[in-house]
Amino acid sequence: MSAHLDPSSAGTPGGAPAGTPGRSGENRSWLARHSELGVCALLSVLGVLVLTDALTMDVDIARRGPVGPTTMPLVVGVALLLVAVLLAVDVLRGGRGEAEAGEDVDLSEPTDWRTVLLLAGIFLGSAVLIEPLGFPVAGALLFWGSAYALGSRRTDRDPLIAAVLSVVTYVVFDNLLGVPLPGGPLMGVL
Amino acid sequence: MDALNSLLDGFGTALTPVNLLWAAVGVLLGTAIGVLPGIGPAMAVALLLPVTYGLDPVAAFIMFAGIYYGAMFGGSTTSILLNTPGESAAVVAAMEGNPMAKAGRGGQALAAAAIGHFTGGLVGTVLLVALAPVVARLAVDIGAPDYFAIMVLAFIAVTSVLGSSRIRGAASLLIGLTVGMVGLDRMTGQQRLTFGSLQLADGIDVVIVAVGLFAIGEALWVAAHLRRGAPRAIPAGRPWLGRDDVRRSWKAWLRGPFIGFPFGAVPAGGAEIPTFLSYVVEKRLSKHRDQFGKGAIEGVAGPESAASASAAGTLVSMLTLGLPTTAVAAVMLAAFQSYGIQPGPLLFEREPELVWGLIASLFVGMVLLLALNLPLAPVWARLLRIPRPYLYAGILFFAAVGAYAVGGEVVDLVLLLVIGLVGFGMRRYGLPVLPAVIGVILGPAAEQQLRRALQISDGSVTGLVNTPFSVTVYAVVVLLLAWPLLARAVGRSRRG
Amino acid sequence: MRPRTPLALLAAALLVLLGPPLLNPDDGTDTGTRIPGLRFMVPNTPGGGYDITARTAAKNAEDAGLTSGIEVFNLPGAGGTVGLSRLVGEHGNGKLAMSMGLGVVGAARSNDAPKTLADTTPIARLTEEQDVVVVAKDSPYRTIGDLVDAWRDDPGGLPVGGGSSPGGPDHLAPMLMAEAAGIAPKRVNYVPFDGGGELLASILGNKVAFGVSGVGEYLDQIKAGELRLLAVTGSERIDGLDAPTLKEAGYDVDFTNWRGVVAPPGLSEAERTKLVRLFEELHDSPEWRESLRQNGWDDAFLTGEEFGDFLESEDDRVVSVLKELGL
Repeated sequence: MSAHLDPSSAGTPGGAPAGTPGRSGENRSWLARHSELGVCALLSVLGVLVLTDALTMDVDIARRGPVGPTTMPLVVGVALLLVAVLLAVDVLRGGRGEAEAGEDVDLSEPTDWRTVLLLAGIFLGSAVLIEPLGFPVAGALLFWGSAYALGSRRTDRDPLIAAVLSVVTYVVFDNLLGVPLPGGPLMGVL
Repeated sequence: MDALNSLLDGFGTALTPVNLLWAAVGVLLGTAIGVLPGIGPAMAVALLLPVTYGLDPVAAFIMFAGIYYGAMFGGSTTSILLNTPGESAAVVAAMEGNPMAKAGRGGQALAAAAIGHFTGGLVGTVLLVALAPVVARLAVDIGAPDYFAIMVLAFIAVTSVLGSSRIRGAASLLIGLTVGMVGLDRMTGQQRLTFGSLQLADGIDVVIVAVGLFAIGEALWVAAHLRRGAPRAIPAGRPWLGRDDVRRSWKAWLRGPFIGFPFGAVPAGGAEIPTFLSYVVEKRLSKHRDQFGKGAIEGVAGPESAASASAAGTLVSMLTLGLPTTAVAAVMLAAFQSYGIQPGPLLFEREPELVWGLIASLFVGMVLLLALNLPLAPVWARLLRIPRPYLYAGILFFAAVGAYAVGGEVVDLVLLLVIGLVGFGMRRYGLPVLPAVIGVILGPAAEQQLRRALQISDGSVTGLVNTPFSVTVYAVVVLLLAWPLLARAVGRSRRG
Repeated sequence: MRPRTPLALLAAALLVLLGPPLLNPDDGTDTGTRIPGLRFMVPNTPGGGYDITARTAAKNAEDAGLTSGIEVFNLPGAGGTVGLSRLVGEHGNGKLAMSMGLGVVGAARSNDAPKTLADTTPIARLTEEQDVVVVAKDSPYRTIGDLVDAWRDDPGGLPVGGGSSPGGPDHLAPMLMAEAAGIAPKRVNYVPFDGGGELLASILGNKVAFGVSGVGEYLDQIKAGELRLLAVTGSERIDGLDAPTLKEAGYDVDFTNWRGVVAPPGLSEAERTKLVRLFEELHDSPEWRESLRQNGWDDAFLTGEEFGDFLESEDDRVVSVLKELGL
């Protein structure tokens, strides 16, 4: 792990989502600078989805009064489309959603997609493995995998921490509290 | 002073060494289990029900009271330290508490929460003793139109937490409302946005949404921008509340109960709306409004106090009317019944020893909770000093455990990840997260009350404004909306 | 790679794989009524009716020494339909049972669930509970006759509250009542509430004209005079309560909510018999008698085939009511 420069001297060109678009960003594609329009697109998709669902609902039954099961979806759907348009206008006029800062967050670095995808993959993989391999195995893999993705390389220590954490959690939930968790392929064999 | 005498008798019951022991065991067990991910107070009480089977009813309920308060506090602990609220009432605690913890002020956040729980519980229980019969009458008079009016007020209040960009706040709120609609329509049983999936038929649990948006979303966001290089250790900070902290918190502690208690006592109340209203109120009244979202201690103190007082309010309706207003109350009602005791109008006459012993033990439990947790706060806070990879891996791990333990469904984990990715996107593009969670909580409730009110009036719109209470609330709403205009007009006329 | 990595990996693997089975050994010998590792699923939330039934039954069975270590767990969703489809999915699992009742029959139908109770192995019906028709103490309706006459004149103006969603017991009872009184069920203004608590407040505060719910929930309020009991929906009057059955009042309705136990499909004959025997022995135990008394449940024990036939007839009844409503 190499130490970085003092983060307060930030202001790396391009990448950083926040702040005013610098001159060096001129060449970056227009789309990259206006990627927030993607949010508008997603909001409109959501709006259309909600409206479609409401309009295809079969509502002849048990409907009483002016407000039925479709009223709320119709209102929310229209509002989603409206907000999508307003947001698009705001973005095109140069408005920017400010990315969230935080203690552990270094916004001067470009987004590290590799870690994000790795974490998401590990999470999904562990979820799928819970049923066949049991919670202790899947939980340990989730913890170790996440720690590894986040930069921990103590391969002599991390698996043990993960295993102990996972088994202790299993014992607390399954044995002490009676919240059943799958124990793994060897349950009932031994 | 009949109530006072009965209460003194109650203390006689609660302060016997054996019952004191049960209260302490309850508080400890409740806190320990409330800290576990995905286990809120209702689940904690249900899980610990068998522990009390061997006890006599008085001891059992004294222990229950401890478990209830302990579990509520335990839920806030994880919310503050790990950003993983175990139940919807603890969501607000994460808003200010977690940034505080990140800044090395976890000890103070936990202490503010603990004292908030203490004062909220204390004031709430005093109100319980003094007002139980009155409140019980009033609770019955509150109906659907009144609830809807309160929801409208709450939605107006939401606009003040929409963040710096109104339009982005509104987008977040709408995302929340959409998520809240998923599932069977509660009035007609129609499927909405379920795409034929049975798993979605019961809707998406608020806890999954909150943990997904807060914990998973944040873990992914941090992962994408992790400050590699020599990690700055979270400063140890002072372990105790400083004078400044107390000065900022004490009013919030005292205001919280008066927001929380009434909501707990009414049938469709609960702790979510009051915690969040308390948050808005504190933000409005604070001199440090700019610190909100970055760790303002009032934002922990007020809501936590409101949550605890709402628990006391819950007991009013349960003991005097046999009305379970929250899931915890429903479980406790079941526990009463398993002892052959039926809470309701006759309980105070039939079982005075039990009821007053229980109420007195609430006071005892509160004191024990404070005594146990205040010294522990700095210890808990040290948890955050473990290396970053372990911390965030742990957050992902516990978020997953919580989501899975509740239903045992892998689908919930997938849902959690998807919502987490949404939370990631929202952080990237500056959409505030809180309005989305509020949308999930308030949306369905508001819709249900609106439709119920209209159904009871058989479709007539006058059904929404046919009670003095609802009219009053709407008047307040109009006043709030008109306030900026009025203020400006007044200011101009003064200057002119 | 660090030198001790393989060792750490090995130790971790052993721990996660061997830990759980060693901590939960299969102790019980598989004899008599003992079913080691039996799990009891509750298809609704903690504190609900099926939950109390399941937890009480499990505790009584353990106290009576019939079996040990029954694991009760909740899998709520869609009025019990989520739990039902999980149960049906556990084909041939003789160590699983589900607490259920009339509400699940209704939910499976009104949600158009792909699985119904016909896909399960019926084990036993345990308890039943009548529904009651109640109004607030200051309500203008003094008898069931008063109420129904007013209701017939203006079904929309007299909202009826119930504690279950459409298809559930508190929904079916007023619908059957309306039908018997010559009111088209479609015209009934049924307002669903989440469980008995909010409903009780609405009845007491005269927000709804009358309420229909299980008798156990409101026994105390009735005895205290807060609620006026107009009628019970079952075939017999309830001891100590001064109210006629709907039949006596001239409305041909006989409606009782019930709770029971079903198991996954595809059980061997031996597995099925064993589960049935467990509940038979439970039914005979003094602990269960005491629980029935304490909770105000009526004993309605019925097992195996007969319970299966009963399930079928209940299913038909639900389907015909829902069809009439166009659900």
